[in-house]
Amino acid sequence: MGIATAIWEKWIEFKYEWKKITAAALVSPVLYMIALGWGLGSMTRVTDRPYIDFLVPGLIAMCTMNNSFSAVATALNVQRIFEHSFEQIIISPTSLPQYVLGQAIGGALRGMYSGLLVLLISLPFGIGIRVTPAFFLVMFLNGVAFGALGVLAAILANTHADVGRFSTFVITPMTFLCNTLFPLNRIPGVIQLVIRFLPLTHASSQLRGISYGEPVSLLSLGVLAAYAALFVGLSIFFINKRKNL
Amino acid sequence: MIEIKNITKKYPGQKTPALSGVNLKIESGEFFGLLGPNGAGKTTMIKLLATLLIPNEGEIIVDGERLARSNSNIKRKLSMVTQEYSLRSNMTPEQIMELHGRLYQIPKNVIRERSAELLDFCGLGEHRTKICRQLSGGMKRKLMLSRGLLTAPEILILDEPTVGLDPFARRQMWDLLKQLNDKGMTILLTTHYIDEAQYLCRRIALIDKGKTDRVASPRELIDELGATAVDEFDGSHTKSSFFAAREEALHFAGELENEFVIRSTTLEDVFVTLIGRKLEGK
Repeated sequence: MGIATAIWEKWIEFKYEWKKITAAALVSPVLYMIALGWGLGSMTRVTDRPYIDFLVPGLIAMCTMNNSFSAVATALNVQRIFEHSFEQIIISPTSLPQYVLGQAIGGALRGMYSGLLVLLISLPFGIGIRVTPAFFLVMFLNGVAFGALGVLAAILANTHADVGRFSTFVITPMTFLCNTLFPLNRIPGVIQLVIRFLPLTHASSQLRGISYGEPVSLLSLGVLAAYAALFVGLSIFFINKRKNL
Repeated sequence: MIEIKNITKKYPGQKTPALSGVNLKIESGEFFGLLGPNGAGKTTMIKLLATLLIPNEGEIIVDGERLARSNSNIKRKLSMVTQEYSLRSNMTPEQIMELHGRLYQIPKNVIRERSAELLDFCGLGEHRTKICRQLSGGMKRKLMLSRGLLTAPEILILDEPTVGLDPFARRQMWDLLKQLNDKGMTILLTTHYIDEAQYLCRRIALIDKGKTDRVASPRELIDELGATAVDEFDGSHTKSSFFAAREEALHFAGELENEFVIRSTTLEDVFVTLIGRKLEGK
């Protein structure tokens, strides 16, 4: 019940602002595609395929992450610190674990929406990628993990600026480094090893692999699910533990 | 019954606790008031009851069960109207009511029915599809009360519920709260309007600097101070004196050289005198 309520809440948010959400979700992928796909990408090949084919799955992973995270972190933090409407969630008998999971799923759906938009706008760029149900499953798991991270950030942040800082230190580095814009093997040893463990690396690798027609890695799916479970668990822990919400 | 047992709450970075060893007992069906000056600890107490804050020491027991964030059983009985406008600014009153109903697992048809009734009763019927940020302050207050009543709670916690309401709406809300209390709802109220507390509350706890001073009925508190007041204006200040009997007050007033007024003592006099004495003694 708590899951459905949180998803319904995210749906109302989306319904109210869908035009702005859609426009905002389009800006950076379009710029990346023009600047990196058409611009720099026309001068380079990272594998035996055109760079745009490499770039688009990475952009989808990146946009799914960014939008899942911000849809939850920003909204929930505003509700907690400015609107004080989060108080009503805490006061209510709704199961907090269910509510957190619902927020993460709601965030994931928003992330998937932006991922689909990237897919749509990539069509005129003439990319040749394959989309299967597994492709959507990876997007969903990636979205749940970062939606749950959004809950965690919203709960831990004492000010709205803290959410921005969290994003700067956690989300932005992943945006650039996690096998999104260039292959992971171009990064030196130890740093590459660290990056291999990050959730976005698994999401972008899997989306790219599926789009190239390669089999899905169950290990990567498991890693994404584990991150989702970890962030949901930590969010629940901190919601229950924080003395001053 | 709500039992507040030896509650201490200290905020991070603060030297003195917001509440220190507070004990209170609120009977089922009681209309109980928490009165105190700004920063006395009233809102902290309310937030502890709502589990928004967790005490450093002590516990709160509701109907024999320990209150905790994870205790859905107790939370189902509680409803709270906060001091701040705790409303989703991009939702309509209808959606805010629906969200609240869903959070309390109320069936959809019941949510719809009760929401329509409550919104109409509070004069928000024609505004039910407006975005919340377009509502006036008074409308938001009424919406918050409607939301608080949607779940037909056993215990209603009200933190300054009539701030921003015009006098008519305030009286209307008083009537509604009286009716609800008469039907058995336990109501805990904090307010800066002392006339409100005097009119509504059966018992009052005076709270100051994080400690409860006195717990008694408004009548008892007034009688302790003296039921008749004489206000003497000396040209720059008004000095109030209190007397148990009207005759004593008349006798006292007869000897005054300055302008004076004889009147009944109010709870506000009790509040100002008790808190004033503490400030003088500081």
